[in-house]
Amino acid sequence: MTNLNGKAYAMNAITPMKPWKTPLLKLLFWILGAVKPLQKDLKNLSFIHFARWVCVGRNSFPRLSDEQPAEELKYDYLIFFSNFNGTWNQYIDAFSAVLYHGLDAIWIWSEKYPGSRPVTEFKRYISLVQFDTDYYYNVYPHSATNDVKAALRVQDALAKFARTSQSLSVGEFGRAWLEFQVTVAPDLGTTGIAPVGT
Amino acid sequence: MTKIDVSDIQGFALKGYNFPHARYLLLELGEAPAARALLRKLLEVVTTGERWEINNKPMSTVNVAFTYKGLVRLGLPLASLLSFPLEFQQGMLARGDILGDSGKNGPEHWDRVWREDGVHAWLAVNARSPEALQERTGDLLQMMTDTNGARVLQPQDACAISIAGKFSTQEHFGYTDGFGNPDFKGAERDCVPGQGKLTETGTWEALATGEFLLGYADEAGELSMAPIPHLLGRNGTFMVYRKLHQNVATFRAYLDEKQRQYGGGKEKLAAKFVGRWRDGTPLELSPDQPDRTIVADNERNTNFTYGDDLSGTRCPVGAHIRRVHPRDAFGFHGGLVNRRRIMRRGLTYGEFVPEGQPVSDRDERGIIFMALNASIFRQFEFVQQQWIEYGNDAHQGNDKDFLLGNHEGKGRFVIQGTTDPQNPPFICGGLPNFVELRGGDYFFMPSLTALAMIATNTVDPR
Amino acid sequence: MGNVSGGTYGLTILSPIIEDDRLDICHSMELRWYLSQLPRDYRSPFAQLSSTYLARLVVMDDVVFVGHPACQEHLKSRYLIFETNFDGDLDTYLRRMATETQEFVNAVWKHCVGFPGTADPGAFIGYMKKCQIETTFFFADVNDRTVEATLDALKTQSALAHFMEKHQGMPAAWLQREFGEFLEKLRQAPALRRGGEESRDIPQEKRRHD
Repeated sequence: MTNLNGKAYAMNAITPMKPWKTPLLKLLFWILGAVKPLQKDLKNLSFIHFARWVCVGRNSFPRLSDEQPAEELKYDYLIFFSNFNGTWNQYIDAFSAVLYHGLDAIWIWSEKYPGSRPVTEFKRYISLVQFDTDYYYNVYPHSATNDVKAALRVQDALAKFARTSQSLSVGEFGRAWLEFQVTVAPDLGTTGIAPVGT
Repeated sequence: MTKIDVSDIQGFALKGYNFPHARYLLLELGEAPAARALLRKLLEVVTTGERWEINNKPMSTVNVAFTYKGLVRLGLPLASLLSFPLEFQQGMLARGDILGDSGKNGPEHWDRVWREDGVHAWLAVNARSPEALQERTGDLLQMMTDTNGARVLQPQDACAISIAGKFSTQEHFGYTDGFGNPDFKGAERDCVPGQGKLTETGTWEALATGEFLLGYADEAGELSMAPIPHLLGRNGTFMVYRKLHQNVATFRAYLDEKQRQYGGGKEKLAAKFVGRWRDGTPLELSPDQPDRTIVADNERNTNFTYGDDLSGTRCPVGAHIRRVHPRDAFGFHGGLVNRRRIMRRGLTYGEFVPEGQPVSDRDERGIIFMALNASIFRQFEFVQQQWIEYGNDAHQGNDKDFLLGNHEGKGRFVIQGTTDPQNPPFICGGLPNFVELRGGDYFFMPSLTALAMIATNTVDPR
Repeated sequence: MGNVSGGTYGLTILSPIIEDDRLDICHSMELRWYLSQLPRDYRSPFAQLSSTYLARLVVMDDVVFVGHPACQEHLKSRYLIFETNFDGDLDTYLRRMATETQEFVNAVWKHCVGFPGTADPGAFIGYMKKCQIETTFFFADVNDRTVEATLDALKTQSALAHFMEKHQGMPAAWLQREFGEFLEKLRQAPALRRGGEESRDIPQEKRRHD
């Protein structure tokens, strides 16, 4: 399955938009970026390494030579790229269950978008507009974004502890080591192979 | 307010009978006409969900469910058969990759009856006494003989563990089980706080009926995929059956070894694995010692959340009950949890050996685990794959569930803690398989109406 | 700026693929074939492009028809989509593509219209920028660490958990000494390999009940 590399899934989706709607979508994204609620929810959901939306206007498909025919399109296209953890079903279930407002706000401008609820209809639409990845590279295939964040917290805690620990007396070290363990204990999950895609 | 027709739903799907004895007859069905004749006889004795009067409980109950192969044998129309969910059509053995049923849990270790993947039906007797069990089984066997409708491939007996002369809900590792079964709308029993779903105000309410019964709206406001025609699926449900062998000797040895290093002592360590003290007291409510008064009080014994314990210092983040019922631990008002609940109806099997007495992993003992849900894929399989055999949602990476995980000697369980020497952080490594799968399958438990349609060969194809 | 989130850059490139009716095997098919053979783990050219987190290449054949009353329309060309997330600035990354992974870049982009080759990095950078699509919204869960720092953290996490487990219950004096040695060994331990090692992971299709 070329959409998968380790714990990451590469989803690509393209949806058509009537050109007059594109500036509205861009304004919405600007608001979402400035006000930051979408980012907070995405971080808390903790499913996605990186995601992006690009609007390719009907006249903006790159044309590199005169021999290349110019595109003649009625619609602008919203292309969505996600690098997420978990299975396809799990991912969409999660978004439909808890981030449906954000999803709807983004895709309502796309033609025939059915809404993110009910989820079965939503999954049908995604299947229609999703296209597969031919080649996918993942620098840390054994690590989900949760693993990465946990590791960074551990690294920071260790750096801090290492700086102070060597100069401590034995008794002080014993206490400091215990406190250190308490701090890092939630973040010690093993990394490894992802479950089978479903 | 959902009104469900309890006389149409099999009792096993609606309530736990709490009878101490059970026999699960695993059947191979005869030719379709004979098998249907057997079903017609069974229809007269199948136990429904109707309420029992106080002094009028039956001495035994009968319930029945079918695998996909069983429905094929019964001659259901092709269009109906193909309309069943994919995972049910494939059966549990074929779904091994998703469930992690490999290595020690692989089919080569299963009981022959499951390995051969030929079970058509599960015919279950639950009884209040061994005599009632025998009598009812005798009746059923007679029906099979009279109609030639089925033969028993294997009977599986189960029996609650008796402690000091009384039947208990304890299992072989010593944990008291039976808490936290989900409440759903329309079920007759009172909603117990902690068993349903959390509302935004912090109270508990019953889950949507459609999470556990087909034909009703589920938590996403949809109908779970159900077979056609509508009446075939309505008031039915899907059941997952798994025979879980317990390696009691291995468990006791592991606990004994690790508790020597653990500052909180043996019972606390055992509690940390699961999230409840072995008597059932939840760690979240009583982190320092078990408390009988909490256990005995239904308003309290499962009424807690993890919101104040996100770092797992009371109940470890990867503890068993926290993995399978995260409550508010994921935030988002339970939206990521409410469609992942399963209804459990397990019963222990095999002889119980009290602590301190010699015991062997090779003896037959464990739990017959049965889970009921409207969608095996979305509910049971998800919990098994993502929350038991994996730990990402619990922020524990690849770490598996301590008790059920397929560890193969390499598992790890981290216990979070505090600077209190009685509650230190602690890492349990080198986890072996405490539980091993000995087989099972996926079953469809039809309503009484559907059973009658199947029995009279009146399922209308479309 | 839409393409940037903290220290991470999100690059989206759409390169039109050459259409040539005279060929037996068209460019898009050859390209797909090449991509299917390209290693995805530590042997990947992206492991060489060491600041890369996650990158993908997709041959987009056409736009989608979502059904009436939307209109059905078609692209006149196929496009190669290159989506990548990396540390640092765009120019450096593109320059490294041209100078450190020439074989790969040429093998892929030779199928695309107007590709100038990698001999002149400046021309290559210019070409890629002509194909670049501005990101409208970019989300990066972790955007304040480099790839190197992240891999280092993952190595630390794993080693530390192991150390903690092995040293449970040991007296503080011994522990302090062992901890010092642990830090030293950790510093010297080799970094995690970018891209992992695919041959050691059982591919999804091949997993069986054994």
